[in-house]
Amino acid sequence: MSNADTLAKLSKINEKYQMFNDFCKDGELGDAEFMFSVKDNLTSKEYETCAGSRILEGYRPVFDATCIAKLKAAGGKLIGKANMDEFGFGTFSTNSGFGIPRNPFDLSRSCGGSSGGSACAAAVLDDHISLGVSTGGSICCPASFCGTYGIVPSYGRVSRYGLIDYGNSLDKIGILAMDPKQMTKYLPIIAGKDKEDPTSCVQPELKITHKKMTSVAVPKEAVEGISKDVLDAFNRALEDLKSMGIDVEYVDMPELKYAMPAYYILATSEASTNLARYAGMRYGRQDGDLTLKFDDYFTSFRSEYFGDEAKRRILLGTYTRMEGFRDRYYAKALQVRMVVIDAYKKMFQNHDAVLTPTMPFVSPKFDDISKMTPVESYKADFLTVPANLAGTPHLNCPCGYNADGMPIGMQFVTDHWNEEQLLTMAEEWDKQFEVRKAEVSL
Amino acid sequence: MDKQIVARVAKASHIKLTDEELEKYSKDLGDILDYFAILDEAPNHEGAGINPVEIADVLREDVPEEKFESAELLKDMKTYDNYIRGPKLV
Repeated sequence: MSNADTLAKLSKINEKYQMFNDFCKDGELGDAEFMFSVKDNLTSKEYETCAGSRILEGYRPVFDATCIAKLKAAGGKLIGKANMDEFGFGTFSTNSGFGIPRNPFDLSRSCGGSSGGSACAAAVLDDHISLGVSTGGSICCPASFCGTYGIVPSYGRVSRYGLIDYGNSLDKIGILAMDPKQMTKYLPIIAGKDKEDPTSCVQPELKITHKKMTSVAVPKEAVEGISKDVLDAFNRALEDLKSMGIDVEYVDMPELKYAMPAYYILATSEASTNLARYAGMRYGRQDGDLTLKFDDYFTSFRSEYFGDEAKRRILLGTYTRMEGFRDRYYAKALQVRMVVIDAYKKMFQNHDAVLTPTMPFVSPKFDDISKMTPVESYKADFLTVPANLAGTPHLNCPCGYNADGMPIGMQFVTDHWNEEQLLTMAEEWDKQFEVRKAEVSL
Repeated sequence: MDKQIVARVAKASHIKLTDEELEKYSKDLGDILDYFAILDEAPNHEGAGINPVEIADVLREDVPEEKFESAELLKDMKTYDNYIRGPKLV
């Protein structure tokens, strides 16, 4: 489908897949050379920015996020704001205040989260790139469930200016696409130092010399508790990698099991402070009862418009920072982050990457998701969380399909600032693995 | 988790919980913290990972600048005489 056709049919496509909250309705491509979409927690002048939350409904920012401005300057047209879990709080994109994106391979299944709309757009629209944001797995998980490539660069590689914060020490902007060459083309464009985000100013230059991987480490702990269809596909992928001349070694990384609680403590601690700003003034909805007393106004507003998972994470993050509990949870989690980083660095002394399946199962059906407890849902992230906690770059590559045709992904993790080998790996893999594109019928 | 603690946390978070929500979140948070108990056996580290990569010398010059017109910033806010409207303090 040409870009003009895509624009003309965008309304119909979105009606079916619900990937965008707000999108281009004029159908005009203008002088644009390519089209892109972004997760709805990136501020944009042309469209509402709600981050999946009803509390921000109607918010129209006055500036474009740096990554959007850079893509526009490179000739891109922003065509949609992709649906997501509220503020990024979720694994299945079912926690949005604005509908649920549908998996392009099976509409009764999840796109994954929290960048579910971005993965859906990358999978459904031809020749499309979509920017996602990963805090604990929010790019690789949906990329895996929707059968796309997805790259999360090092923490600080892409400016977060214009990103609505979830966890400041964890948030990373990355790219989802069906064609890995698109990631190689556009990551250098959105990367780079930006004085508006000091954490982007320590990065070394992103050089792409197409250096190939020669060795990967597979942690034994990462293949325990994986569903059979995922494990079968992963094992077949390991054989393919060996045939590409890459050494595969099983290793012990016992530190991985501490990453998930540490991640959730840091993420919710940071989120609970970040979300304090949403109080019915300045942004989004402001229809509270101004005759209420000061505290009562904020409390009533937040209670009405925050969703269930947002409240749960605010409560959890507030608790883990409270006097008497802070050392056991928050301070310990900061130490565990260093333990996990050290474990990765040790692996990178002898291997180019750490390789695992991306998710422990294929995309579940919405009925099954609704029966999950919060702990079961959090546990689904156990493979994507460690690299996010460590701020190391990582990549989802589609590596198989189960008997129902649902995509399966594998995840490569490299050392800080080594996005180059991930991008090269994706391109090399794509030469020998036939990635299936979801059939789009309107 | 004890409901009184959850109620105290909710008050600090400016979130009002119904009795049903209090029941639900007490159970959820209890289950989550039970799962987090594995952290007690995690090794300690002399460092504290405030950021995953070292962030240093990144302060910008403290120079006043006006990037946006105040009218533009206020356009979608509830205002009164160019002040942002909010609830009464007393």
